[in-house]
Amino acid sequence: MKEIVNNSEALIEFLKKMIIDTLKLEDITVEEIGDDTPLFREGLGLDSLDALELVVAIEKNFNVIIEDENVGKKAFESISTLAQFIQEEYGE
Amino acid sequence: MEFKDKRVIVTGATKGLGKAMALAFAREGAWVAINYSSDDKSALETESEIKNIAPESLLLKADVSSRTDVEKMISGVLEQWEYVDILVNNAGIIRDKLLMFLNEKDWDRVIDVNLKGTYLCSKSIIKTMIGRKSGRIINITSPSALTGRTCQTNYSASKGGIISFTKSLSREMARFGITVNAVCPGIISTPMTEDLDEKTKKEFLNMIPMGRFGDPEDITGAVLFLASEKSQYITGHVLVVDGGLG
Repeated sequence: MKEIVNNSEALIEFLKKMIIDTLKLEDITVEEIGDDTPLFREGLGLDSLDALELVVAIEKNFNVIIEDENVGKKAFESISTLAQFIQEEYGE
Repeated sequence: MEFKDKRVIVTGATKGLGKAMALAFAREGAWVAINYSSDDKSALETESEIKNIAPESLLLKADVSSRTDVEKMISGVLEQWEYVDILVNNAGIIRDKLLMFLNEKDWDRVIDVNLKGTYLCSKSIIKTMIGRKSGRIINITSPSALTGRTCQTNYSASKGGIISFTKSLSREMARFGITVNAVCPGIISTPMTEDLDEKTKKEFLNMIPMGRFGDPEDITGAVLFLASEKSQYITGHVLVVDGGLG
């Protein structure tokens, strides 16, 4: 996992697949998710309960814990912000 | 063995209703983790009984009103068992006084153990349940929450809060296949009710259409039902088991 986290492109690809698999988004492909597409409301249209599943998935895959709602909101703005957050928090 | 190898945590499980629930799960093949706060003697006795029946068991000393205690307790269970299927939030205390004489310490302690304890334990357990898209949380409330009772503004507030908490959490968890329900035992013969004076006992018996206090085993059927696959379409519900007390 360390190699993936250290490689921004690989991490972004991993995160897109993780979101699709975790939330069972059957009608969306990795290619259709823009790096800067908003994850919530417009864009991917995820809701707060989807965020719960993603928090669990992130902890499981990266051992990065999101406990604060405001931290989560910032991290989950887009795939890019999520990748950046994980790179900052990974291994701490 | 309806709960063969299901992993269960029961809080406040070394006496009374909690003990009965823990033993009932153990008889059905579950791995049972029993939590208690301070009575080591009762805890060891109960642990010994559980160990004779359950395939796996854990004894967890933790104050459910303490976040650090609860997090340590739950993470310890997850380290050993990997996941938990069922959480029964049973730990509860009473500090009965007329409001005029109810000091802040007795108010806070009852709210902290009964309501905050339910919040802390539930919050710590839901991640593992969300990850597995499966789980059962059963919270123990009281008739005092539904009708009120003299000298129990603190207790009834805590148990009423548990009902509201149950209903709200059930809405959050529903899409993950996790049900969250409450069981409302009537007046049950336990260490808590043994201390009642005879006059009060008689008054209560007259209020119960079935004419008797409940046994802990009367409640375990309801808890096991809500923990089972049979109740997979029931969530946010308060199951009252009170002999008709109402």
